[in-house]
Amino acid sequence: MICENCKQRPAKVTVTQVVNGEQVNRHYCEVCAQNLHPFHVEAAHQDPLAIHQLLQNWFNVPTQESTQRAQSDQPLKCDTCDWTFRQFLNKGKFGCADCYDSFRKQLPGVFKRLHNGNTKHVGKTPGGFERVIELKKQIESLRAQMQEAVAEENFEEAATLRDEARMLEEQLKNGADSA
Amino acid sequence: MTIEKFLESSVSGWMDPRGEDSDIVMSTRIRLARNLRGYRFPLSFTENEAHQVDQLVTAALVDSAEKVGTTFSSIPMEKTTTLDRQILVEKHLISPNLAKGQIPGSVLLSEDEGISVMVNEEDHIRIQCLFPGLQLEEAYEQADTIDRIFEKELPYAFDEEFGYLTSCPTNTGTGLRASVMMHLPALTMTNQMGRIIQAIMRVGMVVRGIYGEGSEALGNVYQVSNQTTLGKTEEEILEDLQSITEQIIQKEREARETLLHSEQPVLADTLYRSLGVLTYARIISTDEAAKCLSDVRLGIDLGIITGVDVSILNECMIFMQPGFIQKYAGNSLQPNERDVFRAKMIRERLTIENKTTTKGEKPHDV
Ligand SMILES: [Zn+2]
Ligand SMILES: [Zn+2]
Repeated sequence: MICENCKQRPAKVTVTQVVNGEQVNRHYCEVCAQNLHPFHVEAAHQDPLAIHQLLQNWFNVPTQESTQRAQSDQPLKCDTCDWTFRQFLNKGKFGCADCYDSFRKQLPGVFKRLHNGNTKHVGKTPGGFERVIELKKQIESLRAQMQEAVAEENFEEAATLRDEARMLEEQLKNGADSA
Repeated sequence: MTIEKFLESSVSGWMDPRGEDSDIVMSTRIRLARNLRGYRFPLSFTENEAHQVDQLVTAALVDSAEKVGTTFSSIPMEKTTTLDRQILVEKHLISPNLAKGQIPGSVLLSEDEGISVMVNEEDHIRIQCLFPGLQLEEAYEQADTIDRIFEKELPYAFDEEFGYLTSCPTNTGTGLRASVMMHLPALTMTNQMGRIIQAIMRVGMVVRGIYGEGSEALGNVYQVSNQTTLGKTEEEILEDLQSITEQIIQKEREARETLLHSEQPVLADTLYRSLGVLTYARIISTDEAAKCLSDVRLGIDLGIITGVDVSILNECMIFMQPGFIQKYAGNSLQPNERDVFRAKMIRERLTIENKTTTKGEKPHDV
């Protein structure tokens, strides 16, 4: 069988079309099939390298005003890795785990775009981390109680509460270092 | 040297074609991205930090490997030749990024190559588990086991609000990328892939061709994976991918039925011609080989071609890549010499097939 389109090469591809409610089979060579029914994977291909471009487009719309402000103000920066928020946007990557803390306020906006509107983790937590969260909560509550006791001039109780909180803080620190 | 074992053979455990839907789903992969607290990410850390992380991660896994019932070989990138690294990439055991070797890093490989842990890729730790066929739950369970070994030994960078902290914001949260590698020749032949890719993307998944450079899907092999890692639990991510995969399998089966019933002679002709090319060609490019291998595999799946092993596509797609060709040839080849060598290797692979099968025809003189 010869290709219906170019009438030169052998037909290797059959394309089924519905024309006026009737199924029609067309036989094309590979070259014509490709041209007549182009099949683009490009649209689906998501190169991770392209992310930084997306991020730049979303946040990095440099108007003159914002450039001037950025120069006068202290740029938003992570002290651990020395990367600025702008650098993060340009590279599309974080420099270290502390960047998350340094850019905490800005990040939900970034994540919303990347993760289908989501901004908060709901999955697994590392074992032992639950205990850390628990400890933090206990310390917070002890400190609140302590302040109340101070306000009521109940200094003896306040001192006990402070010691308890310190003990838990110590635990938290040791736990975090030796985890 | 331990690395030789992983380079000699193009066949890995995950290529073993078995299990439900293994005719369409070639393999399942789970990847978890993790980082250690107290060390900057590989993009910004010092060489000293890199070595420390490498040592910590390697020791943690090697010491507790018996919990997974396997041993791990550590392959440092610094001590591996460029060609050998390329082969590890072609076998999907490491990423091209790690293979660049710009950062001191390594890969920890399990005996059967099903588990590979990359150290100092974009993240400090990248756990990767490969399973044959569609086995999302099984693969995740294994990755989770490795993850729990690490979290006992090492402090992870984790945040209450953002979850596992990763170098790339697209991995933040669960750090989980689940993917299935699918052979979809009938959907491609019937020109439905474009539409299907659009639909898949609309539900927050990513589709891409996994062989070949750029974006073309060489050999009609596609990879479907989750895009969202934040705001979904691991279970939800796996369930969503499972459901999408099942729907694509269903569509591919329908397309195969259609082809089989309406185009028998044309189809059989196309598929057998491809077998002919693979059996007799003296010069074959990667593209042509990939297309022909896909055809032959479809022919086997549809029962049109008999006497050829199904694993042929998996195996040949791996060993026909430039790195392997070079390794087998034993010296550098020019691109045109590679095409000659590739044709020879595929012919030999098919001849072994014909000799070992009782049903097949007599071995051809190739
Ligand atoms: Zn034509
Ligand atoms: Zn930082």
